[in-house]
Parts: sequence; structure tokens; C-alpha cells
Amino acid sequence: MSASTALNLGYLGSKIVNVPTHNSQKPLLLHGTPNRPLKLINSNFSWRTTMAPVKTSVTAAAAVESSSDPSKKQESERKKYYFVVANAKFMLDEEEHFKEQLYERQRLYGEREKEQDFWLVIEPKFLDKFPDITKRLKRPAVALVSTNGPWITFMKLRLDRVLQESYEADSLEEALASNPVTLEFEKPDKWAAPYPKYEFGWWEPFLPPGSKTASV
Amino acid sequence: MAAEMAIVKPIVGKFGCSSTTTAPTPGVVILGGRRNPRTSNAAMKIRMSSAATDTSAPPPPRPAKKAAKQGINETLLTPRFYTTDFDEMETLFNTEINKNLNQAEFEALLQEFKTDYNQTHFVRNKEFKEAADKLQGPLRQIFVEFLERSCTAEFSGFLLYKELGRRLKKTNPVVAEIFSLMSRDEARHAGFLNKGLSDFNLALDLGFLTKARKYTFFKPKFIFYATYLSEKIGYWRYITIYRHLKANPEYQCYPIFKYFENWCQDENRHGDFFSALMKAQPQFLNDWKAKLWARFFCLSVYVTMYLNDCQRTAFYEGIGLNTKEFDMHVIIETNRTTARIFPAVPDVENPEFKMRLDRMVEINQKLVAAGEGEDIALVKNLKRIPLVAALASELLATYLMKPIESGSVDIAEFEPQLVY
Repeated sequence: MSASTALNLGYLGSKIVNVPTHNSQKPLLLHGTPNRPLKLINSNFSWRTTMAPVKTSVTAAAAVESSSDPSKKQESERKKYYFVVANAKFMLDEEEHFKEQLYERQRLYGEREKEQDFWLVIEPKFLDKFPDITKRLKRPAVALVSTNGPWITFMKLRLDRVLQESYEADSLEEALASNPVTLEFEKPDKWAAPYPKYEFGWWEPFLPPGSKTASV
Repeated sequence: MAAEMAIVKPIVGKFGCSSTTTAPTPGVVILGGRRNPRTSNAAMKIRMSSAATDTSAPPPPRPAKKAAKQGINETLLTPRFYTTDFDEMETLFNTEINKNLNQAEFEALLQEFKTDYNQTHFVRNKEFKEAADKLQGPLRQIFVEFLERSCTAEFSGFLLYKELGRRLKKTNPVVAEIFSLMSRDEARHAGFLNKGLSDFNLALDLGFLTKARKYTFFKPKFIFYATYLSEKIGYWRYITIYRHLKANPEYQCYPIFKYFENWCQDENRHGDFFSALMKAQPQFLNDWKAKLWARFFCLSVYVTMYLNDCQRTAFYEGIGLNTKEFDMHVIIETNRTTARIFPAVPDVENPEFKMRLDRMVEINQKLVAAGEGEDIALVKNLKRIPLVAALASELLATYLMKPIESGSVDIAEFEPQLVY
């Protein structure tokens, strides 16, 4: 297994030169604009840092180093966030199975007393770091953000028509900051389903703590 | 396509009320056992067929072997048992041979399947038996048939996935484990449906089914298309029924539907896995042949469902649905989902598509009628010829309708123009 993993990393690495798999050494610099081609949206393999043993040890070393220096104390708080993003209409209005998935996951976390690690962010501020994404995005945009990288890879597979990336932030608040926006979806011209649509605002339980949608 | 087949054994209900006095509804003939529920301890394996009309003598204590010899009456539209070229599968997912398999996607899926969202979901309560007892008359028979067909379909998934899990263990442990976890889900679903049958004092003999059913062989490529579609269409059928009954609880006549919301999330995830499998083998998605096959599989799955369901309108009407509207909704949604991976899909939202489906229903009804008449076999077959030809030409015309170019954005050529 580990052999093949290494091979895969090598393969991807040779294709994508500019992916910062590791930024913990420069904690105060959010990695700048990823100028890699967008075609590589599916190439999120940096989550492997938590899975491949070799990488994990590097992370651990970095963490130890930083905690020994009090001036860099924040470093240990720095976390990686993974996301998929698309326009709000697609994420919140059209893809009804998406709502079911989020409620299913929320139910599971409740049953297993697991702390929430996924959020919906409407018009996230972190998008400013990704001009290659924003130039292809209809607005307002909605991102599904999680600290669980593999789950975001799975969600990319499911939703398909979304762009996938990751970033680092010092706090949850910083990671999930958003710009205020008003959401409004036109009613579908013909609703042929033998059931009503999910209600506008179903996403509110998944918004970052303290935020509210300005809904119409 | 009248004859449905199932293997049943009479069993004693948990609450001792299995000695139901209801006469078997027309079409379903239960051979023996029913009149004397105590014989159930002998675990009799009995054949039941809606086409059978003879009630032969009460079965001997262990007629299992006899039943096996009788074979199973299958038609084009009965749920299928699939088998495939396991050696080719091993090669396809051998990480040594295919060094560019997107293992990240598979590992993400593995995590998702290990999470096991529905570990504690499939727990029954006493509502089931009470609801089953209330279901009488034709609706009762239709429910039994629904449970049988669903159980057979889930069970066929279990068999295929289990075997793939076993066979791929060495060459690709991640993919193999996902198959095993999917067979866990399917076994759970089949078991739950089979317990549902016990509310009707029946049980599918799955061991017998395993041995006696004919298996349809598909090359791996076609297994991917077929199982992807059957998982995704399964999701859309279940969620549609669930949401409809949630909005119209007066039709909630059997509690199994209340489980569908969580249940069908499993189906949807299974479909995602086949999506990943196909993306790992882009040669199955990116040439003109793939486009032709993709359209062909979509069309066969949609037409099969439409013709099947139009023969069972009583079931859908029994739970307050309009069969054709339900089916069209399921087809349109499945097609939209499928367009995220198949390189081409039929244009099911074009009114011509539904018009042609409806014509096929009419022809199929005539075909069924021709088979049921009192003519001798030769005359029946002669009557069938023009109908079969008409059905075939309708199918061909539908197949040749202008398709929609589609595919995953990870592969599709139109990706650079896409606005997200």
C-alpha cells in the first residue's frame, strides 16, 4: 500500500509543480495565489499529509519546532481547510441530495458525539486568495468547507460541478469569514416532482457559528 | 412479461398470527405450508410464482432439491443477477499495472463507507406486522411482489460486490474493501426486505436463489455502466417515494418507506463509487464507442423500468403516486445525475422521449396479451412477431434521438468553458 501511495504522489507531483503540500514552515504567510491550472482541481492530495506516514512525521517535526518558539505559538493553531465551491443556486437550490447528505452527516455526528468539522460558507472571504477559481465562478458563491480532506474529495466526486482547493487559517473564525450577501432563488418554472422542494434556508444549521443568512 | 418468480418459505410470524385466513390473491399461489404454519419449522423451500395456477399436493418436508430442479421463470424485465470477468477486473485495478489510478478518490470513498452512516438504522418495530396485517386484497399481493423484487435486487448486488471484494483483495486492497463494505450495505438492505416479507408470512430463500438463478454475464465495462445506473436510479426511486409519502402521509401504508431516506443514501454512495471506478478507467468514457454504449445502457435501464412499472400501476397508485409521472421524474433526475459521468446521455426531457416510451408501453401490453391468450404456441408466436418488431423499431428510434453530450468535469472536453 505505502509503496503505491508513494508512486501516486510521485506521479501527481511531477504533474503539478506548484502545489504547496506543506506550508507549516511559513505559518504566517497564507500561501498566495495558486497559479496552477484549474484543470487540476481534482489533484487534492495534500490531505495525504495526514495519511501517508512519511508526511505525518514531517508535520509532527514542524509542530514540535514551532511550539518550542513562543513567538510562533499561533502556529500550532494553524489548520488546513479543504473546500469545494460553486454558485449558490447550484449548491443550495438545485442539488437537493446535497441537503440530505449534510443532514445525514449532522445526524451521525450527533449520534457519535463528534464535533462538527464541516460548514457552508456563503460568499467566503478566502476566495480572494483564489483568482483562478473566482474568474470561473458565478456569484454569489457557496463553499462547503471541512477540516476533513478526504471527505471533501468525496464531495467533489459527488457534486462534480464544483471546484476544489484548500487553504490554511489561524482560527476557525478567520477560516470561515464571509461577506454579507442576499440570497434569492427563482422558483422553478415547472416542478414535476411528486413532492415539495426542500425549504429555502435549509442550510442555516451549517453556517459558521454566529453568522446568519440575509434571506429573502 | 407476467411471470414473476420467487422462492418462499412459510414461516411463523413473531406474534403468532401467521395463520392468516386471507385467501391468496389472484396470481399468487402459495404452495402448502400456509394452512399449517407449524410446518414452518421444517424450513420448507417452496416455489411461488404469480404465473403458477396449480396448487399441487402439500409439499414433502424437504422439497428443496426438487424445487431447484424446477428452475426459475425469468423474463427480460426481472431483476438481474450479474457476473463478470473477474480476471479482467483484477487487471484493471492492479495498482502495479495502473500506476495512475486516482487512489485519493478511492481512499476518500473508503473513509466514507467505513463511516457506516446506517449502522443502526435498520431496526424494525411492531408497526411492520400491524401494517402488513392491514394490507389485504390485491394491494397485499402487490406489496409482496414489491418486497420480493427489491430483496432480489439488493441481494444480487450483495453477491456481486462480495465476490469482487474477495477477488480484488490482492491487487487493490482499497477498492476491494470498498466492494466488501458495499456488500455489507446490500446484505443489510436485503435482510431488511426479507424481514418485511416475514410480516406477510413469507421469506425469500436466498441460498436457493443464489444457486438457481441464471447469471447475466457482463464485461467489466458494462458492469460499471449497469450497476452505476441501477444504484443511481435506485436512489431516485427511493427518495422520491420517501419524499412523496412524507408530504402525503395518508398513503403511508407500510412502515418500510419511512426508512428510505437514510437507506437510499447508501445507494447514492454506491453509485459514486462506480463513478470513481469509471474515472479510473477513462478508456470506458472517452471515445465514440463509450458514448454509444452509455446511451444504450441509459435507454435500456429507463425503458425497462417504465415498462415494468406500467405493468404494476396498482402498487404506485396504492401509495398515491401516478406511475408514469413518478417514472418520468425518476428518469429525468437519474439522467441529470448520470450526465455527471457518462460521456453522452439520451435527451429524456424532450417530449418525444416520453411519447415513444408511452408507445412502447402500448405495444408491450399487446405483447403480454398475446402471450396470455388461449391460442396454441405457434399462433402466439406468430402474433408476437409484428409486436416485437414494432417494439424494436420504437426502441431504435428512441436510441437515435439526438443525445446530450455530458461527462465529469474532470474528463469532459467542455470543462474549460464551464462556469461553476
